[in-house]
Amino acid sequence: VSGIISRLRHPQTTVRWRLTLLYGALFLVSGAVLLTVTYVLVEHAPMSRVPNGLFVKGKNVDVPQSANLSVRPPPTANRPVWQRKALTVPAAGASAQARPNNDLAALPPRVTQVLRSSEGQVAIRIVGAKQRLADLHQLIVESSIALAVMAIISAALGWLVAGRVLRPLRTMTAAAQQISEANLHERLALDGPRDELRQLADTIDRLLARLESAFDAQRRFVANASHELRTPLTAARALLEMVMTDPRATVETYQTTCRQVLEESEQQEQLINSLLALAQGERGIDRRSLLDLSAIVDDGLRIYRPRAGERGLRVQTSLSTARLGGDRRLIERLVANLLENALRHNIPGGSVAVEVRSERGQAELLVANTGPVVPADQVQRLLQPFQRLGAERAGQREGFGLGLSIVAAVAAAHDATLDVQPGPGGGLAVRVRFPAPADLLLLPEPGSDRGGAPEEPLQPAGHDRSGVAGSAART
Amino acid sequence: MRVLVVEDHPRLAATVATVLRREGMAVDVAFDGREALERATLTTYDVVVLDRDLPGLHGDEVCRSLVASGARTGVLMLTAAGTLEDRVEGLAIGADDYLPKPFHLAELVARIRALARRSAPGLPPTLSHGDLKLDSARRLVTRGGQPIALSPKEFAVLELLLSAQGAVVSTEQLLERAWDDATDPFTNAVRMTVSRLRAKLGDPPMVETVTPIGYRIGGAG
Repeated sequence: VSGIISRLRHPQTTVRWRLTLLYGALFLVSGAVLLTVTYVLVEHAPMSRVPNGLFVKGKNVDVPQSANLSVRPPPTANRPVWQRKALTVPAAGASAQARPNNDLAALPPRVTQVLRSSEGQVAIRIVGAKQRLADLHQLIVESSIALAVMAIISAALGWLVAGRVLRPLRTMTAAAQQISEANLHERLALDGPRDELRQLADTIDRLLARLESAFDAQRRFVANASHELRTPLTAARALLEMVMTDPRATVETYQTTCRQVLEESEQQEQLINSLLALAQGERGIDRRSLLDLSAIVDDGLRIYRPRAGERGLRVQTSLSTARLGGDRRLIERLVANLLENALRHNIPGGSVAVEVRSERGQAELLVANTGPVVPADQVQRLLQPFQRLGAERAGQREGFGLGLSIVAAVAAAHDATLDVQPGPGGGLAVRVRFPAPADLLLLPEPGSDRGGAPEEPLQPAGHDRSGVAGSAART
Repeated sequence: MRVLVVEDHPRLAATVATVLRREGMAVDVAFDGREALERATLTTYDVVVLDRDLPGLHGDEVCRSLVASGARTGVLMLTAAGTLEDRVEGLAIGADDYLPKPFHLAELVARIRALARRSAPGLPPTLSHGDLKLDSARRLVTRGGQPIALSPKEFAVLELLLSAQGAVVSTEQLLERAWDDATDPFTNAVRMTVSRLRAKLGDPPMVETVTPIGYRIGGAG
């Protein structure tokens, strides 16, 4: 009861109460309107407008036409309107009129005479009007009582109906409260008719599904990153522990171990750089300068051409000036990663084709290479961080699997479109198309020294891990 | 004791293998999940040290297969993800122990020994026969209170013979438990090691030759 009282004090607290109040108020208003309409209709019922003619037609009646039927009292301002009206409507009561007409003859002549006199007529009408007033009053009172009772009943029904309508909402609230980061796989799974509430629940479910996949991707990324970071750390530590607990360790063993630990730390540094590049690419760029893509690719090729020669790969190039607005370091990284990928995932005697062109002001870079067959359904997966193709064996595995995801992030940061297709006979064909620089607000490239930051050697993101494998195995 | 190290990082795998061999274990290395399962079907390992994040076949799958095969192999899982959920999940899959990276090699060795003891139930940490005592955790061998310095292989062979508690251990068994896959199966390494071990243990002789099957601990017992 106290709860109800407190709710009554704060009726706005729940939708259920508001709906109940709304239902009640609506019922009350429509009831009142109905009552008023009824009242007005009754009040102006046809009988109340009995014209003089009816009275005149009466055989015994001899009322001068001048005698107005309505006994209009002097219009006084302090008189309620309804009373005034009621009086204007004269003697309308059927009984009051019928009696003089039909029963007049049965009355003593004196009475008849009195009634026939104009005063008598007035008196009859007054009595009729009073009777009518009483009837109307009764109608008002009884209808009001009925309305009040029905209002209470309708409020109670409204409370029940609102509760029933809102029940799915309460279920959803309870279910949604239970869902946290730990059990994002749960769903509201509301059943019932396909109404607005069901749509809401389904929308929330779809939102949860998207959240779940985003969380999963994030979790996978963190797991992969921590694996890639902690494993070399563990290796470095194990190497040091191994040599320190070796009773027969020599200066030579120490030197070998130190060299290996250094190599491990270099790899970690490269991984951290790659992760930073990825983060920077995903964050977007805040400064764009006007760059010539062909010059950047040419610089990159200067490093990769000799390495391609070592691997016996043919490099075909077709470079023409293509301008774009972007961050030089990120574009360099994109180019380096694409070239490195093309070199690394190639076959003996294969080839790499690099093309830079400008099409309707849009700079376009194409890097296609021969290589092992890439299944078409695996291509998109390669753009995800830490993804490598199929069952590459660990001992032969190269890179961290970040190269193409960095390319994708950098391309996205530059609003460029990235198209990766498997080559016809294996390998990959990657096409990056940048938006025309004219559309962009460009800052002039700071100086000819390529920015104030110290230049790092052009290095691919996912660096080669081979060449350190197994050297300490089975010693 | 025969141990399989499954780790995709070549240098870490090599380092762990080196240290375990120094501890007298026979160690094989696999770099991915498939190779690990192939090796596990050929050889019964006492302990498998299993990295969880493996290329190809995931470490979880390898663990499930190992457990499903019914072998009495102890599985020690290594992982970079060291959260409580990961550890619980790893143990739920069927791993016997769990060690997050980065770890201390000393702890890894101690856990492997503990697991091996569990997979061969009923053996105390210290094995003995007469006045000969072998403490596998501290890698100490004493006879009549006098410490004896043994090479890792000699130690492993003595440990196997003492574990058999007088039963005959065949040359093949010794080869499988104390030597890794890199060893030529037609080697006379076992005979050489046993003869060196006999010499170090002194008189009266404790290792008997049961021709043509193998060896057993006996004699002065």
